[in-house]
Amino acid sequence: MTRLIPTASGTVGPFFPPHFFRPGDNDLTVIAPGAPAAAGRRIHVFGHIYEAGRVPRWNSIIEIWQADAGGRFAHPNDPRAAEADPHFMGWGRRASEDDGYFDFITVMPGGYDDPVSGARRAPHINLSVTGSGLMRRLTTTLFFPGEPGNDADPVLGAIGDPALRARLVLGTAASPRVSHGLAAYSIDIVLQGDGETPFFVD
Amino acid sequence: MSSLPDTFDPYDDATQPAMNIEHYAETWVRVPKQPLFRRPVTLTEITGPTRLAAKLRPGDNDLAHPYPDKPRAMGQLITVSGRVQDEDGRPVRGTVIELWHANCNGRYIHPMDANNPNPLDPHFVGSGRVTTDDEGRYEFLTIKPGAYPYPNHPTRWWRPPHIHMSIFGDGFMSRLVTQMFFPGDPLNDVDLILQSVPDPAARARMVARQIPMAEMPVLNVMGFEHDIVVRGHRQTPFGQ
Repeated sequence: MTRLIPTASGTVGPFFPPHFFRPGDNDLTVIAPGAPAAAGRRIHVFGHIYEAGRVPRWNSIIEIWQADAGGRFAHPNDPRAAEADPHFMGWGRRASEDDGYFDFITVMPGGYDDPVSGARRAPHINLSVTGSGLMRRLTTTLFFPGEPGNDADPVLGAIGDPALRARLVLGTAASPRVSHGLAAYSIDIVLQGDGETPFFVD
Repeated sequence: MSSLPDTFDPYDDATQPAMNIEHYAETWVRVPKQPLFRRPVTLTEITGPTRLAAKLRPGDNDLAHPYPDKPRAMGQLITVSGRVQDEDGRPVRGTVIELWHANCNGRYIHPMDANNPNPLDPHFVGSGRVTTDDEGRYEFLTIKPGAYPYPNHPTRWWRPPHIHMSIFGDGFMSRLVTQMFFPGDPLNDVDLILQSVPDPAARARMVARQIPMAEMPVLNVMGFEHDIVVRGHRQTPFGQ
């Protein structure tokens, strides 16, 4: 069978329309304002994004994708899709602010036995970064501190150096902006330089 | 429900843009120095949001005349239409496409472009959102964008007219942000962003095809066709 070749990526550039962001795009706990809440423990995930020299990178477009509280995806490729939380979409988007700050309100994702690899996936959040200067998106995966499953997770385990793996484990510092009264998890995304975030082949 | 999951091979570097571009200064400070890590593909990478339209509301497929009680946008009216397919040629149905581009003067509606000496067009919205149909097709009406200079380097260059397109596809690994170019524009040959894709055939696929005038239903609208392929294909069944 003829295989088509994926269209080449191109940078988002600096002009991603601001009105593509609407209030609630970074709140995964409701699909739409006033809709029923997703099941699970609500959490606040925030961070800062930096370019070389630890310069805050504003106007980055950050998207996340994750399983629901039960470790399910409402997608035909998940054998357990029928059990997935109907009130959870799993996707959110946010632009970083002047100081590189970004945040999401979401639910604690569940781990799951992966039917593709046969491995156990620890709770995690997939994150992608696009923006000017990035001809292709950068993708990485965030993990939760103290999760016993982290050590056996095949994606975290793809990074050999424990010091680099640690950069993908969320911290528990409080947000400098807002508490929401939720457990807060923090991450620095360093595109280049000291403390550079490990990214994965997309 | 599929019995065989989607699989995703790494992109072929020859058909994708270079990450570091010599005269595109922003790439120097934002591209990781460490090599990227290979990860196994698991469920989380082959799934993605299926009801995005609930958050990203489509319906803005007319960028040229967005306000019915006001004049249309300045510039050459164009339609852009095409199909979104995966690597097996399967239509990608019901996926959200976001698009944005400069106005006919080469100016964006964006705070980052506030110092552009060219005027805004109050009747041009500059962005829209459409959803593909059951055959993976999309279409929108807009005006042809103008060229504009890339200013942030001593070696400046003109960015040719282009339309930014963001496509979600069926899963996290299918996500694509790309740019569509116009056929026959001499600036295409000097655009460092388009030219950063090594394979000429891959570059050619980023350039739309002009639909012959005789095939266009409306005389004053120029038609462009642009097909998009997002990553993802079915596993070959064992033994075949």
